[in-house]
Amino acid sequence: MTLPFTLLVQLSWRNLWRHRRRNGMLLAAILVAVGTVVFANAVIRGYQGDMLNDAVNNLAGHVKVLAPGYRADPSIDKSFTIAPDWQPPLDPSLVLGWTSRVRVPAVIMSERETRGVQLVGVDPERETLISFLGEVDIIGGYLEGPADRRVLIGKALAEQLDTRLGRRIVMITQGSDGLNREAGFRIVGLYDGEGTGVEKVFVFTGRETLQALLDTTAITEISVRLIADEYGALAGRQLAASFSDLEVMGWRELQPQIAAMFAFADAAIFIWFTIMMIALGFGLINTLVTAVLERTRELGMLRALGMRPRAVVAQVVIESVLIIGVGLVLGLAVGVWLVSLLDEGIDLGRWAAGVEMFGMRTVLVPRLLVADLVLVAIMTMIFGLIASFYPALRAVRIKPLEAMRR
Amino acid sequence: MVVIRFIAVALAMGLGGTAFSEQADQPTARDLVAAAIDLTRGVSSYTEMSMVIHRPDWQRTSSLRAWTRGREDALIRFTAPAKDAGSATLKTGNKMWTFTPKLNRVIRLPFSMMSQGWAGSDFSYQDLSRTDKLLHQYDLVLIDTQQVDGFTHYTIEATPHENAPVVWGKEEMVIRDDYVLISQTYFDQEMVPLKRLEAVDIGTLGNRVFATRIRMSKLDEPDNWTEISYEKADFDISVDDALFTVFALKTGRAG
Repeated sequence: MTLPFTLLVQLSWRNLWRHRRRNGMLLAAILVAVGTVVFANAVIRGYQGDMLNDAVNNLAGHVKVLAPGYRADPSIDKSFTIAPDWQPPLDPSLVLGWTSRVRVPAVIMSERETRGVQLVGVDPERETLISFLGEVDIIGGYLEGPADRRVLIGKALAEQLDTRLGRRIVMITQGSDGLNREAGFRIVGLYDGEGTGVEKVFVFTGRETLQALLDTTAITEISVRLIADEYGALAGRQLAASFSDLEVMGWRELQPQIAAMFAFADAAIFIWFTIMMIALGFGLINTLVTAVLERTRELGMLRALGMRPRAVVAQVVIESVLIIGVGLVLGLAVGVWLVSLLDEGIDLGRWAAGVEMFGMRTVLVPRLLVADLVLVAIMTMIFGLIASFYPALRAVRIKPLEAMRR
Repeated sequence: MVVIRFIAVALAMGLGGTAFSEQADQPTARDLVAAAIDLTRGVSSYTEMSMVIHRPDWQRTSSLRAWTRGREDALIRFTAPAKDAGSATLKTGNKMWTFTPKLNRVIRLPFSMMSQGWAGSDFSYQDLSRTDKLLHQYDLVLIDTQQVDGFTHYTIEATPHENAPVVWGKEEMVIRDDYVLISQTYFDQEMVPLKRLEAVDIGTLGNRVFATRIRMSKLDEPDNWTEISYEKADFDISVDDALFTVFALKTGRAG
């Protein structure tokens, strides 16, 4: 006797409704598990996104071109020149922006204090497209062009130096001849890096101004920002082909620590998911086995009437899939709903000091990726199928004679 | 270097008396500063001095010897206390090195250290190394003339140019008519005085009249000052050129 599939589904569906409370509990467990996985996933993705953004924003870009040796000894000796009309040899539709910079270690002095910083000569307009300068709040004004003779410094640095907007500071750095170059600069603006650590590190001025100070036309780096991280490797290869004597590096190589944390966050998502699913799996097996044992007599009867073992297995598996499926849909809905509630971001301001220590921002915006939702759905269904294997086995092992004699 | 500059200014007045006494009664600010610097070109000197570093809760006295050649080159060596004896600073052109016998190492001074106190004093390395910046990087204006003890004291206000490598809002110098720098005050950009260099004693040494005791004090931190007194000075002596080398710095040879 072969049963039509729809009949099997109907049978399983009715079986589920026979124990509303028990199956309701199971459903709730699935819902909570899937919901929290989706939510935690979005939070971690949000953190990862911030990290990537900061890493790339941090003047690294997705790909960077440097003179050999610059990383070990960042001085103006380790520089190179490009044609004034140079364009990156990349598909323009993949490039969000690019810029060339002169970046040298320098000392900044006010009347009262002295600090070591990185003096960065930039093209202010290009810079806004590719680095954090385009995103941060600036008190005062922004640099007006590559020949601007003023400086933009971090708010925290201004506090350390006991100086203010509109004041003059002195920058001292070293030319390629080893002699000091010094000049006074007026502070055009203070940027608020939200405690991301960059505030005390980077001082910006016009690129041409810095080149003039250093008696050079060379630059120390080209930084390219792409539309997405995935194209980094491709862009790296293409740039390397056109700059055979220079170093072309991705942000992962330039900031291995952040790359490692990034990979760790990926793993964390997976570990979290696995733990939740294993816990859920036992609950599922337990419920299904109970359901099978309860129906020993009934299943024995059905077998005696000629139901194929295959149909018995199908019935259990369908039951499992049904409950998991419903739980999954509800769980995803709850997860998405939770994330949407926190659209504005989670304010970590209360723990600002600790949070900033980890280089995080004070507002964490969870981020949902459709690919992650699909992955959660598929993985959950697979777990459900695996979990139904043992109960199904128990159901098949029921011997009709013994079962009916009970 | 201030020390050197003081010697320089001292020399300037020594010679300056003859250079300017017959000129107009009212020299310009630029003349006053420039003459002082120009007249010291090519002068060599040997001086012995003591330095007192004073802090609210302690005070330290050390002895030093200095050799200069022209305006740019100088070697300063500590002779006492024993702890510091042998430590030396060499300046040639605008490069500077220090030598510490304990480490037996010569360190080329990185530019990041230029604004730090020299040998723990209130003089920064930059104070030591600055030369004729005043002439090229500042607008000089004579703002006051006063008669003090039979001398004319000229007060000159020096305002740095927009892109001058100077952190000060302005500097104010008082120069006597025989070119002794009586005082130099450094103002921050809100025009609040921050530190002051003063001639405490003016006397005659090595046949020249100059500020024989100078004091650099921090005005926002009272009771913090450094005083240098000249005990012996010889001018226009012949100084061995080999003295102004890193080798001499390390081997401690004395001219």
